Amino acid sequence: MAQIIIQTINGLVNGMVLAMVASGLTLIFGIMDIVNFAHGDLLMLGAFVGATVLTVTGNFWLALLAAAIVIAALGVLLQVTTLRPLIGRDPLTTILATFGVSLVLQKYALWQWGPSVRQISEPVPGHFTLFYLEYPWYRVATALLAGLIIGALWLFLKYGKYGIWIRATTQDRVMAQAMGIPVPLVHTAVFAIGSAMAAASGVLFGPFGGVTQTMGFDFTLRAFIVVVVGGMGNLGGSILASIFVSLLEAYAALVVSPAQAVIASFVVLVLTMLFRPTGLFVPTPK
Amino acid sequence: MTGRWQDESWARSMWWSGKTTRRKFLALSSTAASALGTAMLVPAPWREAFGQARPYKIGTLQPLSGTAAAGGKTALVGVQMAVERANATGGINGRPVELIVADYESKPDVGRRKAEKLVVEDKIDAHVGGYLSNVCLACMPVYEEHRLVNMVGVCLDTTITTSKCSRYTFRPFDYAPAQAVAVSPYLVGKMGKKWHIAYLDYAWGQSTRDAYIEQIKKNGGDVVGTTGIPLGTADMAPFVSRISGSFDGLFGIFFGANAVSFTSAVFDLGLTKKYRYAGDGAIAESTHLPALGQKIEGFIGINRYVPVLDPPLNTPHHRKFFDQAVAALKKIDPSGPLPDRYVQSNFEATNFLKLGIKKSGFRGREDTMKLIEALEGMEVKEGDDFPQGDKMLRKEDHQAFIREFIFTIQGNKHKIVEVIPREQTIVPPACKFV
Repeated sequence: MAQIIIQTINGLVNGMVLAMVASGLTLIFGIMDIVNFAHGDLLMLGAFVGATVLTVTGNFWLALLAAAIVIAALGVLLQVTTLRPLIGRDPLTTILATFGVSLVLQKYALWQWGPSVRQISEPVPGHFTLFYLEYPWYRVATALLAGLIIGALWLFLKYGKYGIWIRATTQDRVMAQAMGIPVPLVHTAVFAIGSAMAAASGVLFGPFGGVTQTMGFDFTLRAFIVVVVGGMGNLGGSILASIFVSLLEAYAALVVSPAQAVIASFVVLVLTMLFRPTGLFVPTPK
Repeated sequence: MTGRWQDESWARSMWWSGKTTRRKFLALSSTAASALGTAMLVPAPWREAFGQARPYKIGTLQPLSGTAAAGGKTALVGVQMAVERANATGGINGRPVELIVADYESKPDVGRRKAEKLVVEDKIDAHVGGYLSNVCLACMPVYEEHRLVNMVGVCLDTTITTSKCSRYTFRPFDYAPAQAVAVSPYLVGKMGKKWHIAYLDYAWGQSTRDAYIEQIKKNGGDVVGTTGIPLGTADMAPFVSRISGSFDGLFGIFFGANAVSFTSAVFDLGLTKKYRYAGDGAIAESTHLPALGQKIEGFIGINRYVPVLDPPLNTPHHRKFFDQAVAALKKIDPSGPLPDRYVQSNFEATNFLKLGIKKSGFRGREDTMKLIEALEGMEVKEGDDFPQGDKMLRKEDHQAFIREFIFTIQGNKHKIVEVIPREQTIVPPACKFV
């Protein structure tokens, strides 16, 4: 019983961080049809920016905000210079372009910050007793904060004027343009929002295991799985899929080794692609 | 006058305006090629000093990108320091050393391909380096097939000098069985009888786990459980939270960012309060200490090198190496980390190669067998070339035996607890050269 509760909490914490990463990725795919291979590297750069701001100011929340703003600005730059000219081309072109950007960002981080692992201290100290473990409050706070950020994004998309622009562009970009919505600007804004989400995830995740130039890799892979399982471009689906896949891995870890438990998410991915390619959490197309 | 400079007539032909023409592509390509060509025509600094002498071409394969990039960068610093030093002191046998660096992106398949390229296209005379054990193992057949000496710089997988040993490969530093022999009496005698081992689930981690299980048992202790964690796992809490039960100490076998993730997880989940925490010295390399802060306090590790100037490392040779390494590392890392075992072993591996070339009168790849014979059984004394201490490259398996340091972390700094002389680290050879 103890193991089930511990793994449920682990699964929820990991699921919420993953949901934050995946929400940015799916938002970008939904509106621009771009599979952004550099998303994990934006997360990593966000964590480095956060670590640097934290070292200078000592304020975690300021570091979180600064990282989101800086990486959003970088996202704007990347979208305008690299991805906008490729919109409408073969999807392979954008995959290659974002893969190239990913390599450049990794090399830049190694050059700029060097090989040492950077630290982001937990802003929420303390532990509580969870059976045989001392569970840090920060992990719980991370899940809650990720939930709040995702909630805020959902409210913005649902009720905000610009959120409605984004949804309209996602549904039909030609009609949206005809209705006077500045579609290229919406594309850029969405890329900035996705980048900021990735950066915020990087700062939130930083205290879990330090900041390194390869920290985004694990997230990119898992985020792609949940985006496919949740339905490409479907924000709600990706969030549900993040929690579903993370809990599935956590429970699988109870019966097999955690290393083998990861296979569970790949099995779900394959089954989804075979039997429900539009995603598990989207209505069946009529 | 137009509003944007990109719309000016002079800029129109050079600025990308949404259409890539063949003319623009060719113009930009030829400009880039010319710039690159000009840079290549500028002679390397050592050429002037050595006139027409043909350089020794030394290749080094390092993971300069991907999962192990951080360690690869510091490993390369060690090789570069030794090569610069050799060239500054007249080269080897009056010939300069040309270092050819290749990045294997932390992937075995890329490593194999790059090793082939170094050997066939760049025509290197010998190789020094390698970092990830799986890549070292993948590349060893290439050096054997083309008959050139491979001086390993970091790879610790036991089988490199045991079941998969090669006449062409040398490991001029310690390996897991020697470390396990050195530290197990301390673990069992002073820290506790029952141990749980957590390890990185790949070649090095698995072979190191086996070596520690054997030695802990041999010293009267017991290993009650093991936990393998895949390389590159960002959050290790789901793995660590399953570690429980009745045992005295938790022994970790991790390196690089994985070591930081693991240590953070065991501290965050309160395991360092319940159990004694010990492990391979790679967990507490100087590049990790700032990120780990209080979480690594009290850790007990075993390592061939610790960046301290306390006895027995308070020698002028070590101070010289230490100061040069700090300056070199500052160039690649603004935080200015202290040297780690990767810098040390690559520096000394290159120096072993230098001594072997001198001793054998090696001219090129045709003299590889002479070089191998010179290196086999070579004993070296502590000095500027070998600041870590005396060493011996055993003839039977090409494995070196060196002194080991048991250390702890106090105030985010290394502190030597015990020095194990190399005579107490020796394990019998288990290699049969084909």
